[in-house]
Amino acid sequence: MNKLYEIVLKTPWPYWIAGIILSLLNIFLLITTGSPWRVTSGFLYWGMGFLEKLGYSDFTGSYIELYGGLTAGETFLLNTVSILNVAVIAGALLSVLISNEFKWKKIKNAKQVAFGITGGLLMGYGAIIAFGCNIGAFFSGIPSFSLHGWVFGGSMVVGGVIGSKILMRYMV
Amino acid sequence: MKEEFLDCMHEACPIPLLKALKKLEQMKAGDLLIMKTDHNCSITNVIEWVDKQGHKMDYIEIGKGEWEIYIEKVVSDE
Repeated sequence: MNKLYEIVLKTPWPYWIAGIILSLLNIFLLITTGSPWRVTSGFLYWGMGFLEKLGYSDFTGSYIELYGGLTAGETFLLNTVSILNVAVIAGALLSVLISNEFKWKKIKNAKQVAFGITGGLLMGYGAIIAFGCNIGAFFSGIPSFSLHGWVFGGSMVVGGVIGSKILMRYMV
Repeated sequence: MKEEFLDCMHEACPIPLLKALKKLEQMKAGDLLIMKTDHNCSITNVIEWVDKQGHKMDYIEIGKGEWEIYIEKVVSDE
């Protein structure tokens, strides 16, 4: 029992097993909801829902109006992507709690905060103009036979190399 | 044999890996690097990378979600 706990819940799973599970789950998601896994559009919906709460409702010419996304009965706050995003966080929390690795992380220094905020803004902006993040554009884009998934993948490698060089220079 | 210490607490991927990479470059064969991290991804990517490089390593969980990684630099004479 102890050994099983160690293997299944304590040590990281091999990439290929995780890959197979993720792709099966994505197939299940496509069948049940009609759309493969997306993440960032959920944050966009939340932002627009927030604007809507503030009384702003003219989204003419916006990403959502141009490319749609929400199905009938869904709102900016309550929709499939929102539920999935909350579920991902809940699942990750459950996983660290079971493996007894949960920990509140402290902020190291101001530099970490500055890098975090800048990186977050760039990622958020980039993900929307790229039609998704590494999940929506890459992980779901490629099996949807969309060319943009491959372009995204290639750009991600280039961006990763440049990003590591910047980190190496300023953060390490 | 020298002993080096890297404090990677509260640092996220890939900083611990990059720090180890930089530190190991400056070290000599037989030197020991001790890393302290609270990022569970480091347990995967640092160890995978160190293993690929052929260095000796081991790690223990010293507390809830905190690890110490021990790396002994090995230089192969190819």
